[in-house]
Amino acid sequence: MNPANYIVLSAVLFSIGAIGVLVRRNAIVVFMCVELMLNAANLAFVAFARMNGNLDGQVVAFFVMVVAAAEVVVGLAIIVQIFRTRRSASIDEPNLLKY
Amino acid sequence: MSAPAFGMHLADVVPFNLPSIDYRLIAPILILMGAGLLSVLVEAFIPRRGRRPVQLIVVFVALLAAFAMVLAAAGSRAVTAEGSIAIDGPGLLLQGTLLLVALLAAMLMAERMVDPSGDAFAPRASTLPGSEDERQFTQRGYLQTEIWPLFCFSVSGMLLFVVSNDLLIMFVALEIMSLPLYLLAGMARRRRLLSQEAAMKYFLLGALSSAFFLYGSALLYGFSGSIDLPVIADQITAKPSQSWLLMIGAAFVLIGLLFKVGAVPFHQWVPDVYQGSPTPVTGFMAATVKIAAFGALLRVLYVALGGLQWDWAPMLWIIAILTMVVGSVIAITQTDIKRMLAYSSIAQAGFILVGVVAATREGLASALFYLIAYAFTTIGAFAVIAMARDSSGEATHLSRWAGLGRKSPIVATAFTIFMLALAGIPLTSGFIAKFSVFTAAIAAGDTWLVIVAVLASLVAAFFYLRVVVLMFFAEPGPETATVAVPSVFTTVALAAGATVTVVLGVVPQPVLEMVANADVFIR
Amino acid sequence: MSEGINLGETIVFWVCAGLATLGALGLVLSRKAVHSALWMALTMINLAILYVANSAPFLGMVQVIVYTGAVMMLFLFVLMVVGVDASDSLIETIKGQRAAGVLLGLALGVLMVWGIGSALAGVAPAGLERANEIDGGNVQGIARMIFTDYLVAFEATSALLITAAMGAMVLAHRERWAARPTQEQLSKARFLSGEHPGNKPSPGIYARHNAVDTPALLPDGTPSELSVPRPLRARGDVRPVDHADMTEIAEIEEVDAT
Repeated sequence: MNPANYIVLSAVLFSIGAIGVLVRRNAIVVFMCVELMLNAANLAFVAFARMNGNLDGQVVAFFVMVVAAAEVVVGLAIIVQIFRTRRSASIDEPNLLKY
Repeated sequence: MSAPAFGMHLADVVPFNLPSIDYRLIAPILILMGAGLLSVLVEAFIPRRGRRPVQLIVVFVALLAAFAMVLAAAGSRAVTAEGSIAIDGPGLLLQGTLLLVALLAAMLMAERMVDPSGDAFAPRASTLPGSEDERQFTQRGYLQTEIWPLFCFSVSGMLLFVVSNDLLIMFVALEIMSLPLYLLAGMARRRRLLSQEAAMKYFLLGALSSAFFLYGSALLYGFSGSIDLPVIADQITAKPSQSWLLMIGAAFVLIGLLFKVGAVPFHQWVPDVYQGSPTPVTGFMAATVKIAAFGALLRVLYVALGGLQWDWAPMLWIIAILTMVVGSVIAITQTDIKRMLAYSSIAQAGFILVGVVAATREGLASALFYLIAYAFTTIGAFAVIAMARDSSGEATHLSRWAGLGRKSPIVATAFTIFMLALAGIPLTSGFIAKFSVFTAAIAAGDTWLVIVAVLASLVAAFFYLRVVVLMFFAEPGPETATVAVPSVFTTVALAAGATVTVVLGVVPQPVLEMVANADVFIR
Repeated sequence: MSEGINLGETIVFWVCAGLATLGALGLVLSRKAVHSALWMALTMINLAILYVANSAPFLGMVQVIVYTGAVMMLFLFVLMVVGVDASDSLIETIKGQRAAGVLLGLALGVLMVWGIGSALAGVAPAGLERANEIDGGNVQGIARMIFTDYLVAFEATSALLITAAMGAMVLAHRERWAARPTQEQLSKARFLSGEHPGNKPSPGIYARHNAVDTPALLPDGTPSELSVPRPLRARGDVRPVDHADMTEIAEIEEVDAT
């Protein structure tokens, strides 16, 4: 097997994630698709680390996990806040931002 | 693969060498991070009534101290922290500008006079809009002082972003800069649903852009075996055949950065986020994120991808044209002043890109000058927008600005200065900025690009001047917004913005010399 | 010393790659957000196995702990808070946007797969044996780099984590502006309101099942709306009552009455 297959797999996952971001409308699902893209990048880093023969890629992947965890917290907090507001009866100006 | 038990082979292991870090050079970043930590502690231990003054002292002292450290480091050129941070002319110049602009933005955020019920932020962001809780907190005069630690962390991320010398630290800095901004964008006191939607949009598109940046970094790492920008540059020259890894990787990294810059076609978030965020935050990010993102973009282009110039220049050519034209043309149709300035900021990003595309020392210097001029003008313009109000909050519809010049001539004059500067009229900083960018581009042979840029700035001048005409040549009616009397904070920020805009237009020479001396990135 | 890829790894790769891709497709194609989250978890676990196969055992573990353990659980938790029925509407806000999105994404995918595939054809991996040997192991090697070469990045991530904690607190922590009502006040308020002072009826009373979606039956055999949780009612997931039960109960009632 060609070791490049790992990278090709990561490219496939990245593209699926990108399609999801473009196609889905639910904020949480879109966010999960972005997480999928980050995971794809991580896989690429790990596979490249082995191909290049140094550990930098693995270290980067480790950092990305930390960053992604922080990002998830912030993102989900924002999403929960907006869902709560939308569900409450007192929405003064619905659908404000134009697309 | 051998898996030695813990403690075995200790003698064979390479001894642990402490990393060499020049703390003096990264002091500005550390000071802001320390200030962020300190203000978290202030939140925890100081009683609620006393938090605001203490936070303001912490923030302003930290910003000034960091600025002093940047001044002390002026002229240094060094790569420190094991190659992950590069302190050089452009980096220090942008750090200094960032700190000054952040100082003005902090003043806007601290303003409590223009809104009768408090500052620009929700008394408690966790309350539901329109709920009894929200009303009670507003009545009791609660303020969300957690904005200050977030602000400090965001500024520290920006300072790190413009001096980061490898892709990992650049990614981390990008997130440190952005995460607090996503939160701040959703915390407006008025029209909260709009603000929350802005935060969500900003967050989702920001996360998408960092995913692109990251995947691009992965491919560049695959190509070069390193994430250090200078090593990537060496590998590009060492491997003559252009690999697809390099091409796609470079494109993705640039896409990630162009998202932050707000260049077309990656600009979709800009209008909504600028409109929905609390106005001081809009001013803050319009000015500083642009500086930070362009700083990183320039470093990636000049340090890492310098050898690829013939590949990225045409791509940026097209993006610059699209950005200028789309930004200017759509801005004409806007009826909301914050949205109009959002599209204007897109167009301005296009003009800065003209200087970037030139890819010469003059191009770099002119882009740096443009960033400085643009940042101070923008923060001033948003200071005025925060002041034009009616009973329900800010009056951002353009029709509400008709006759404002008759009602409050001083503020309207200041706004006129900013509009003229953004339009690029002589005797303002905007003129010098545009002039130097266009000169650099012509010198680099991009004549056609400059012709498009001149046409776009003519179109742009139309909508900037339209606001001026509306303010001064229309009769004030009952619909005209009133300009709230601000405290010393907004007054100082507004005066500083206007002064810098005029001074850079009349006597630009000192700053022009400064950018000309700071026009080489360290490798 | 180059590291060959043996048959075992080849098999692991194809199985895990297939499952990971399946999970990714499921994430994008599921209509319900909860299903998407579960598909995503599948992808992440398989990625963890692929990391281990790629001589990154440490990252494989971190992936399981951080992503599958923390991040995905957080996603699921938020989905439960927000409401499981939050599914996508099929109405397009802009006509043709979905098709355009798919086309754009596919073009991107084809470009990437083709470009990367052609760039890497025939490249032999250097392998990590030598890199791991320097410090005596994979974990040690990563640790050394984190605390030397990437020390500043490591320290800087603390700002991120604090921001995250801060943000979650600012947006979600609800402060009180008045003293917390005592139990006595609460109980008085409940009676004063005149609505159902006590517990609502539990589901399943007099019914065939005691699952939460089975309504309790009233003495006359009609199902009690109050006994089923509101979200289930809103989603229309209330289990229909067997008609025979109702008549049976009604008959018993009649017998008792006579």
